[in-house]
Amino acid sequence: MSPGSKALSEFVAEATEILDALARDLLVLDERRGHEADPDLVNGIFRAAHSLKGLSGLFGQERISRLAHGTEDLLDRLRLGKLLLDGAVLDALIEVLDAFQALLGEAARGTESEGLSARVETMAARMASMGAPAEVAEEDPLDRLELEAQVRSVFTEYEEHRLRENVRRGVALWRVRAAFDLSDFDKGLVELNARLKPLGEVISTLPSAQPGGAHGIAFDLIFGAQVDQAALETGLKGTPAELSALTVRPAAEAATSALLQAAQPSATMRSTSPRGGGKKKKRARATPAALPPEARPPLLPHVPEDTEPGPLEWPTSDAALPADAGGAPSPAHVPGPSSVPVVAYLQGAAKASPKGLSVAPALPAGAPVSPQATLTADTSLRSLTQTVRVDIGRLDGLINMVGELLLIKANLQRLAESARQDGAVALSKLFGQELARETRGLERKLEALQEGLLEARMVPVGQVFDKLARLVRRITREAGKEIELAISGGEVELDKLIVEELSDPLMHLIRNAIDHGVESPDARLASGKPRRAVVGLRAEQKGNHVVIEVSDDGAGIDEVRVREVAITRGVITFSQAQEMSRRELLNLIFQPGFSTARSVSELSGRGVGLDVVKNNLGNLSGIIDVWSERGRGTAFHLTLPVTLAIIRALLVGVSGRTYAVPLNSVLEIISVQPREIRTVERREVLDLRGQTLPFVRLARMFALPERPVSRHFVVVVGLAQERLGIAVDELHGQQDIVTKPLGGRLQSVRGISGATDLGNRRTVLVLDVAALLEEGMAVERRRA
Amino acid sequence: MSRFSELLDDFFYRPDEDVSGLQDFAAGSDGVLPLVPEEVPEEYLAFRLEGECYAVPIRGVREISKVPPLTEIPRAEPQLLGVMNLRGELLPVYDVKMRLRLAERAPLVAGPDAPAPPRSARILVLRTETGPAGVWVDGVVGVVKLKPSMLEAPPPGMRAGDRDCVVGMGRRGPMLYILLDAEQALAP
Repeated sequence: MSPGSKALSEFVAEATEILDALARDLLVLDERRGHEADPDLVNGIFRAAHSLKGLSGLFGQERISRLAHGTEDLLDRLRLGKLLLDGAVLDALIEVLDAFQALLGEAARGTESEGLSARVETMAARMASMGAPAEVAEEDPLDRLELEAQVRSVFTEYEEHRLRENVRRGVALWRVRAAFDLSDFDKGLVELNARLKPLGEVISTLPSAQPGGAHGIAFDLIFGAQVDQAALETGLKGTPAELSALTVRPAAEAATSALLQAAQPSATMRSTSPRGGGKKKKRARATPAALPPEARPPLLPHVPEDTEPGPLEWPTSDAALPADAGGAPSPAHVPGPSSVPVVAYLQGAAKASPKGLSVAPALPAGAPVSPQATLTADTSLRSLTQTVRVDIGRLDGLINMVGELLLIKANLQRLAESARQDGAVALSKLFGQELARETRGLERKLEALQEGLLEARMVPVGQVFDKLARLVRRITREAGKEIELAISGGEVELDKLIVEELSDPLMHLIRNAIDHGVESPDARLASGKPRRAVVGLRAEQKGNHVVIEVSDDGAGIDEVRVREVAITRGVITFSQAQEMSRRELLNLIFQPGFSTARSVSELSGRGVGLDVVKNNLGNLSGIIDVWSERGRGTAFHLTLPVTLAIIRALLVGVSGRTYAVPLNSVLEIISVQPREIRTVERREVLDLRGQTLPFVRLARMFALPERPVSRHFVVVVGLAQERLGIAVDELHGQQDIVTKPLGGRLQSVRGISGATDLGNRRTVLVLDVAALLEEGMAVERRRA
Repeated sequence: MSRFSELLDDFFYRPDEDVSGLQDFAAGSDGVLPLVPEEVPEEYLAFRLEGECYAVPIRGVREISKVPPLTEIPRAEPQLLGVMNLRGELLPVYDVKMRLRLAERAPLVAGPDAPAPPRSARILVLRTETGPAGVWVDGVVGVVKLKPSMLEAPPPGMRAGDRDCVVGMGRRGPMLYILLDAEQALAP
């Protein structure tokens, strides 16, 4: 991030969010390539591009702004049906997304490379020239629809286009009329929209000519139904919606009707529609009471008793709207039998003419309208999510704070306990009891707080999966293979930091799977497999851990050649190789000296840096395991803790030192007499319910002075399938700890993942169970 | 008696105390002034190691701390004495005496068997390229201002560490300061 620029980091964060949304929608479009594109999706992408343009303009990011502008133009033509969404357009959009990401990266670093600037220019030019315009119908199908011209006149260009499309395709069109109470109509409308969504397309939402009662407001939803009337009626049961069909005349009548409609007088009354104007509308901020009395009459000039409110619609995107600056009223007329007063909304163009026009509903009974009430969910400019972006560092700070509170709580508990037990007088005993009770209350609340904070850090692992899906698309194209990416478990949640750190290892694994694991389509056909290979990305929660699997149904790893290479590279000796199991051989691919790009890809199809992958995972207290069968494929299993921030730890004592063992990797604790320790080929093992358990003495491993003990406590730790018994002298109980990583100069320390503070300024080291397991297994392997 | 001496101790030395003004005052009053105008003196922090007086540029010193309980890191290189917790921050603490051949082996200062640290011992928290690092010193002497003309090259016959941790000598009045390159002295 560029030095010290908070604004820039804000920009990057926000833009990243937009790009993520953009990428998600694009991915869906891409998956449904060849099908009719979901108009909502296209519209969503358009809006994302639009926001990006605005945002980057605001922050002076010219290149992003320029590209976003081109993209927005293209998307605008798409959503208005002036352009067909074909493969070329989709590819261009995906390419643009990549460019956006590159641009954002440069923006974050505060650099600007020539190459990228040129790329932006060419891309923008290409998008501008892109155009296989959709065929234009000679007559406007919309003319055949029996809809009042005034209603029609308030449609946005986009809505008009959607309506036209629906008429052209002969979709049954309905006017869904629903009245809601003013106090919560936004909720009602959202619910109605949610009900309608699966049944078809909501083309436009207009305030109804039919009044919704004294405290109500009614809406007309123009709806293109994908289902028949009966299904629609069932679908809307329980909502205040009334259906009426909109008739579409056969083509011939169109001209006449258009003429007729044009001839209708259109001046009776008008309630203005809130169009155009500034980005953040303050419409309806003012309540009628706040209105200067003289401001009202001119707004509703001659309201005859037999007229109704005109249509009201909210813009979905300002850019798409004709700029109707200042919210000048344009006449509209909807004939209808109503004497109930009018609901008229005026655009709150406060800037333009604060007195005259920043006006809200002219409500009959003077019923106050809360500002919220005028916002509908679907079209509101208020952001749809109730999300606050928080820097992860702040959360870390809060979690540290909770850790310290927990220490204070522990001290309080001790005080209470001692007061209760050693209290000389009855009074102090009573006080001790009181204190103990309060402390328990504090404990519960602290636990809830801690849990809440941890939850706040959790994000779905799907965030990385989405990014990887894009990557797969690109690599697949480059590698000339046919691959289907099967993703599942994207909803499994992990600590944000872990998810961030995961993307590189996962990318490595997936790249390997595509580059080397999966055979070419022809080779696959030859070996009797389907042309299209499947690369799987699966997440699953298992207790305190999350297991992520990256699999392919490719050729698998040839362990014989792994062995050869390992021997020639001196990773293992020949005699060691003789005694190694297949699984052990496969695990050699994670050895540092083993994988160099050339030899490995020639040999078995596993690419660069599996040792790096393993290390990265180790830093996250994770472990990686490989399964492979020749001809059937390969799968990597990544086992990760759910969070690293606060962990419950077992405190153990060895030679007078205290260490913390993360409890999520402790399987059990057993007490062992020295005579129960056996040696198999000079290494110590334990017999645990008939299973041989590798065993290390922590004191010996850490080269601490060993003390004679009458019995060992053995902490059995496990990750994935690995098990190891670690002998310690004493157990000190459990405690929640906030781990601080051994950063900076201490990164290379083996077997320790961090340190924690237990109060009294005593620093206690946290054992890196994954590394110890690794080491224990290495000892085993070396001695085997 | 111990309580009284503790009080005295606090009175004489407080690591977080800003004494630079006092030091300036002291430095200005020892008669070496006036300075030659173009010679800009640099401030060094002088400290004792095994009775010898060493100094490092003061801008490389983040703070001076009393010796807290240190936690030894198993299987670490011998000059890494352990880690300390400084207001919630985890810092490695190093011994430089071995590197400077002042001692055969690192002192036992961390872990359950370590004796209480000497009263005058301090940890200098230095800024290094790889993050902050603590260095054990036997005592802090004070801040000295050294002008370029007071600096000399290290004497050729001098016993230096494995690498040239000593970058020069500083002479001020009767005192001789061995100027230490902290980065080198702490290099693994």
